[in-house]
Amino acid sequence: MLWYKAWLETRWRFLIGLAVLLVFACGAVFDYPAIARLNASVSAIDAPGNLGRLIREAAETQRTYRGFIWFQWYRQNLVQMWTILAVLLGSGGLLAASSRAALFALSMPASRTRVAGVRAATALMELLVLALVPSLLIPLLSPAVGQHYGLGDTAVHSVSLFLAGSVFFSLAFLLSAVFDDFWRPMLITCAVALSQTLVGALVGLPFSGMLRVMSAESYFRSGQVPWVGLGLALTVGLLMLYAAVAVVERRDF
Amino acid sequence: MPEPIIETVALRKTYGDVEALRGLTLQVQAGSICGFLGRNGAGKTTTLKILLGMMRPTSGEARVFGRRADDSTASVEIRRDVAFVGEDKPLFDYMTVSEMVRFTAAFYPRWRRDLERHYLGIFGLSPAVKVKTLSRGMRTGLAVLLALCRDARLLILDEPTSGLDPAVSEQVLQALVSHVASAEMTVFFSSHHIAEVEQIADRVVMIDRGRATVAAALDDLREQYRRIRFVFDDDAPAVPVFRAEGVERVSRDGRVLTVLASGGAERIVEEARPLGPVSIDVIPVSLKEIFLESSGVEG
Repeated sequence: MLWYKAWLETRWRFLIGLAVLLVFACGAVFDYPAIARLNASVSAIDAPGNLGRLIREAAETQRTYRGFIWFQWYRQNLVQMWTILAVLLGSGGLLAASSRAALFALSMPASRTRVAGVRAATALMELLVLALVPSLLIPLLSPAVGQHYGLGDTAVHSVSLFLAGSVFFSLAFLLSAVFDDFWRPMLITCAVALSQTLVGALVGLPFSGMLRVMSAESYFRSGQVPWVGLGLALTVGLLMLYAAVAVVERRDF
Repeated sequence: MPEPIIETVALRKTYGDVEALRGLTLQVQAGSICGFLGRNGAGKTTTLKILLGMMRPTSGEARVFGRRADDSTASVEIRRDVAFVGEDKPLFDYMTVSEMVRFTAAFYPRWRRDLERHYLGIFGLSPAVKVKTLSRGMRTGLAVLLALCRDARLLILDEPTSGLDPAVSEQVLQALVSHVASAEMTVFFSSHHIAEVEQIADRVVMIDRGRATVAAALDDLREQYRRIRFVFDDDAPAVPVFRAEGVERVSRDGRVLTVLASGGAERIVEEARPLGPVSIDVIPVSLKEIFLESSGVEG
């Protein structure tokens, strides 16, 4: 029943997130013909400096359907929205239902590790669904715009997003074990995620750090799965989950 | 003497500079209904949370069923046989009554379906209604239902009737009393309502500023506590030092010297007789007066 409780606590965040991502996935596919026409003229734009370079790179990347899907979906829409959902599902944690209701859960004959573990596992399963299911729409819908998108690409990009992006979930979950409120874990984790993009922008990289691993850019460009980045992200994520459970075990309620 | 179900020894709990418990030592015997009386902030809720493993003591020891409450594994075992009703009636607002019952029942193999139906009726609870829409009385009723149907050996209640109107309070207390009468259960409940304690408890532990000040059977308290009033012709003599045991407090007001005794009233009277009082009254003391005295409040 702890699974059921965790599901009830997170289901609206999950279902709304799933609905939004499904709509955006459809949008990504059906926007392709229009964007492809636009792209033809973008390459002629002669904007100077860094901005011009970024525009030309984007246009170049999206010249193929595979590049367009990676750029629009896996590099932008899905990564951004999924990260926000990971933070939302990670925030609150054991105390999500307010400290009052947490006392009821803690009065049950279940260890704190089990209560927190079930909560984390439920959210992680939801995040896996959020990474996979909307992305699966793309290979399914692509024939409708006369294109093809491989299931293998879908699997690699979605699983990379899930494994690397779970770091943000773990950070929010850890902060939720430390802070009693919903907002601080959410805002701090969002700030950390945003800083990934900002740091990249400041040093002139179009895309940076963890977000680069989440989008599996190396796989898109050269067929190399970012194993090192994924392994690092997984290790850091698991360490933060372990720390969160340790904090929950030790703290007073 | 039956074995203690609950036992704390020199229990201390500090929050920063605040000492919530300052060496609390108490015992609750199996089969008793023990009222845990204290003013707001006396340390009642902190004690109950330590017993349930929600807090860890700074020092000292708390045991329930002989197991250490601050040990994570033992605490889970303790909670298999404990039912808890918190002061704010903590429940999951997003669940329906039926979901709340199913959630709780899943943890207790001896869940009493017969009692579940009985209390759903008694408290007028509709299974399909969301917990967040329940009135305070119904919420308390649901919390009591979830506690009693577990068939637990120990029931811990934190201010069970807090915020309820007298009619609902009575209904809740009656449900508790009739259930405990028919089950082999120990009850430890905190309250600052003396009438409530007098109504259902057979033992009482009073706590003040983190220490137990009184711990006795209610009948013994009623039998042994006396207020002794010595009236003198002129001003009462300076407060004497009594050798007799049981003197809890001595006060002097004009011609009257008053002694609060927790026992041995006759010996105190004999000891004071040489002072020459013109009249001596030995008056029974109510639980309220004992509580106020033990809390350092003038009665």
